[in-house]
Amino acid sequence: MNTAVGRLVRAELKLMTRDPLVLTFVFVFPIVTMLIIGGSFGTDPDPAFAGANPSHWYVASYLTVVIAATGLVMLPVHLASYRERGVLRRFAAAGFPRWSFAVAQMVVGLITTLVASVMLLIVAAPIYGIPALHNGWRVAAGLLVGAIAFVSIGVFLGSLLPSARSAQAIGLVLFFPSFLLGAGGPPPHVMGAVLRRIADVLPLTQVTKSVREPWLGLGSATGSLIAMAVLAVVATVVAARRTVL
Amino acid sequence: MCRGSAQRTILGMTKPNVVTVRNLCKSYGGRRVVDNLDLDLGEGEMVGLLGTNGAGKTTTVECIQGLRRPDSGALKVLGYDPVEQADQLRPLIGSQLQDAGLPDRLRVGEAVELFATRRAHDGAALLEQFGLVERRRSAFSSLSGGERQRLFLVLALLNQPRLVILDELTQGLDPAARRNVWAAVAQLRDAGTTVLLVTHELDEAEALCDRVVLMRSGTVLDAGPPAELVDRYGRWATVSWADPAADPMLAELRGLAGVREVTYLDGKVTVHGDRTIIAHVGAFLVWRGPVPTDLSVQVPDLEAALLGLLDGVPVQQTQHELVGSTR
Repeated sequence: MNTAVGRLVRAELKLMTRDPLVLTFVFVFPIVTMLIIGGSFGTDPDPAFAGANPSHWYVASYLTVVIAATGLVMLPVHLASYRERGVLRRFAAAGFPRWSFAVAQMVVGLITTLVASVMLLIVAAPIYGIPALHNGWRVAAGLLVGAIAFVSIGVFLGSLLPSARSAQAIGLVLFFPSFLLGAGGPPPHVMGAVLRRIADVLPLTQVTKSVREPWLGLGSATGSLIAMAVLAVVATVVAARRTVL
Repeated sequence: MCRGSAQRTILGMTKPNVVTVRNLCKSYGGRRVVDNLDLDLGEGEMVGLLGTNGAGKTTTVECIQGLRRPDSGALKVLGYDPVEQADQLRPLIGSQLQDAGLPDRLRVGEAVELFATRRAHDGAALLEQFGLVERRRSAFSSLSGGERQRLFLVLALLNQPRLVILDELTQGLDPAARRNVWAAVAQLRDAGTTVLLVTHELDEAEALCDRVVLMRSGTVLDAGPPAELVDRYGRWATVSWADPAADPMLAELRGLAGVREVTYLDGKVTVHGDRTIIAHVGAFLVWRGPVPTDLSVQVPDLEAALLGLLDGVPVQQTQHELVGSTR
């Protein structure tokens, strides 16, 4: 695969393996927090978790933590550092096709998300077990659409923020509220009305719902899935336009 | 100025222009950075775009490469519009850009693989040519400044570009590394590659370029071969020698043709004027006797001739201040 996108994806994946610290946040943080939170509420069905096993609730929720960590922290920092150091200018001047870098980053983001998600499930399986999939296609669609939306948001943020430091600061500010209210924190049923309202408008909440509900048989989350599909299309178009070389 | 048609006549042969820029204007936040600039670059030429920091050189080449959209003006580069036909044009240009890096952990060999298109040269041969073959497995961050610049040259040349743009190629390099990079660029010139060299280093332009375009405040001041520019702007000379008893002859020296100033300080006579004073002062000293044994003659190089001009200092004043610069 000697296309520009192929060469960029190959180089980026190689560089990633040489800088494992960069991946810590995407690979290690979701696993560690899932192990802690997933073991905190026992395994008995609980009305606070819509009648689901709390450990399974969190296993089904934490794949979207991986998606958020990739989109809100890893990619913006990576891209902003490239722009800050003039790497993007060099790619542009070297004649890389204008869309190649945006496409390559989206592919790399999706591959990262996939690998980190598999690792999370491998760790979760012997400890909490993997909950049975009630509607596998819906879960897959939710994960795919959510990953595309967040990877695109990450590429967009990376094109917007002036430096790696600012990308890290803004990324973490966006990530932690999303993480606590939309995926890895308390279930919505125990939140106050205001927090629940805030959580409801967070994109990560919608991605998590569109994955968790069909996974655990709590509902189809069609509205969330459609909202995320729209976000994915808009974010992809905006990110690609912003990252044009 | 370098106004002209889209063709150049060199030694009676007509060659098509590689770059034709007419009335280029570009502003940032209301500040005009490039102002009605005209530029021509013929095939096989090595042209230096010369000016101080902020003269508009980098913006000009970024417009030529299609990395910036001009506010107005007409640009044709290798027959393409750099903005509208960027996808066709950019692969034909090899660039070494100012302040453009590579990922720290990318290895030299991998950088070559990453940037190589189907038209690429043998990357290994280029690494050999530029003395980087031993560093093929080294990370970009571990390279010295000179090695990085040579790698950027390799990447600029990798895909057999028809035009090479080198922006501040030797900025921040030590003298040895600088000479090393100059030798590499001289190889390009000797191979007939069309090169636009952007620099604020006058000695670099003089050493490497067939023709120099002088820029100040976004406009072209003048253009020509380095030797012609020295003739045009550096027609002055300084003659000096030691003589503990020169007082009586100072008035006679001031009367010689072409002499602009005579100073006498700590037993040293310094005569400054146009280049004819070299002959007049020499003849005067021979006639008057005894002939001094420590006579020194100073004439400007390109740097001395143009420095003040590029800084915006009037030429007369520049000549007066730069008597210490010699070739």
